[in-house]
Amino acid sequence: MSYFAAALVALLAAESLMAAGWGFPNASLQAPATLLLVHLVVLGWLSLLLCGALFQFVPVLVARPLHSGTLPLPALVLLLGGLAALLTGFLRLNGTVTAALPFFSAASTLLATGFSLVLWNLGRTLWAARPLGWPAKFVAVGLLGLAATVAIGITFALVLAGDAVTPAALRLFARGLPIHVIAGLGGWLTLTAMGVSYRLLAMFMLAPELDRPSTRAVLRLGAWALGVAVVGGSIAILLKQDSTPVFLAAGALGMPAVILYARDVAYLYRTRKRRTIELNSRMAAAAVGSLVLAAMLIVALASMGGLVRHAGAVAFLVVFGWLSGLGLAKLYKIVPFLTWLECYGPVLGRAPTPRVQDLVAEQHARKWFGLYFIAAWAATAALFLDCAWAFRVAAAMQLAGTAGIVLQLVRARRLDDVPASARFPAGSRRPPLILSLTRSQ
Amino acid sequence: MNSGEREFPVEHARQALRTVIDPELGYNIVDLGLIYDVSIDDAGVAHVLMTTTTRGCPATGYLQEGARESVARLPGIAGVDVVMTYDPEWSPQMMTSEAKRHLGIEEESIP
Repeated sequence: MSYFAAALVALLAAESLMAAGWGFPNASLQAPATLLLVHLVVLGWLSLLLCGALFQFVPVLVARPLHSGTLPLPALVLLLGGLAALLTGFLRLNGTVTAALPFFSAASTLLATGFSLVLWNLGRTLWAARPLGWPAKFVAVGLLGLAATVAIGITFALVLAGDAVTPAALRLFARGLPIHVIAGLGGWLTLTAMGVSYRLLAMFMLAPELDRPSTRAVLRLGAWALGVAVVGGSIAILLKQDSTPVFLAAGALGMPAVILYARDVAYLYRTRKRRTIELNSRMAAAAVGSLVLAAMLIVALASMGGLVRHAGAVAFLVVFGWLSGLGLAKLYKIVPFLTWLECYGPVLGRAPTPRVQDLVAEQHARKWFGLYFIAAWAATAALFLDCAWAFRVAAAMQLAGTAGIVLQLVRARRLDDVPASARFPAGSRRPPLILSLTRSQ
Repeated sequence: MNSGEREFPVEHARQALRTVIDPELGYNIVDLGLIYDVSIDDAGVAHVLMTTTTRGCPATGYLQEGARESVARLPGIAGVDVVMTYDPEWSPQMMTSEAKRHLGIEEESIP
């Protein structure tokens, strides 16, 4: 839960900055203000969210306990310290911070150590569970994407710190940004989210576990796209060749993977045994829709030649429509579920217990999710239209939607929506708001 | 204890197990089909063979402990032995008609 709490604080902070007009589109995509905002979102929000979710969920995927139940907490401290150093480093580039401290060197060390602990812990858990099922294989490839993203990001930070001035590092710094973005958004965040969503959607809707040729194709195409972009892109840049064909090839592999994934998800919804679809699954569909829309936009813009000009808008849709939308939707299931385990698990069989679904009030959460998605799509449209004021209005709406969802999560955590008579059966315990859930169940 | 005398406590044990719910599906574990077998031996020890809806379910330990607790409180039960199995794996068709109705699952939709 501490991962989720830190992640949500980062998301709210980032949306506040966007609503205040900080960074893109008021500044360029590579301006320090935009870089601060982007890393607050992808490191502070999405990566912490996914790490926290994987510590809970990888043991479910592989039916084995986490390799270490104690490593997640020091990893979180290191990642938060690294994030703070990185953001301060960007503020120094901006001139907002004047202290001449080695922020980027510190960020490199802390983030590399923190993510190494995460990779070690999850990697050992997966390794011990071989042969892996398909969802776990997605996570394994996603972790390779994380390793690549961190390695390239650290190279960038060391160049900014002045610690890495080899020609190869400088070339990668100058032209390697697309690799960093593809490995991070496409490899780490998207492939992992796909794998997790396959299993979560099947589990919660009582749909059959997917082992279709299309599922295998999604993973293979996604892994190849990641490999081509990272390995091929790096080689092209280091050999001073044009890397554009390499990225186009990676895109040509990645786009069919998105379409096949969307078909698989539609199949899960169609073949579900539970007729009623809970809000978290409905909102996950909106997120997958955003991913498909982003893929279609990438193809259309690449063929019409506007991809570079609209890269910010497309990235926004991927980050806030797809990844953040799916993240918030699944948090709306994970938080009540973990809270139920903490509060009611110990009294099961001794006293009547509510259902997990009794911990949430979907009629209240629905409007906040609706506001969130409409705002995210409106903000994307505003970026396409280069309308900065409309973007700020949409970002403010998105902030309001997120705040509403967070409030619903806090209510679930506090058991506020459970009828008072059933809230605390004898022997149950009130779970703390933030701490306690870093241990594996 | 002859077999006739054992039937009654077994039914009591199944009734007691109905106080344990699967938290996600919100229905008792007996009617969900998660209890594969219940027997009581001559020493009064209850043997429960059960599963979970999905392998690796985070609630597994609590469900196992809940099953044990619910039966252990019955009079005449000397001990409870709960064994978790995934052979066969659970599927929705193992639910009773009541459980299916509760979850909005149509009988004919089950293959």
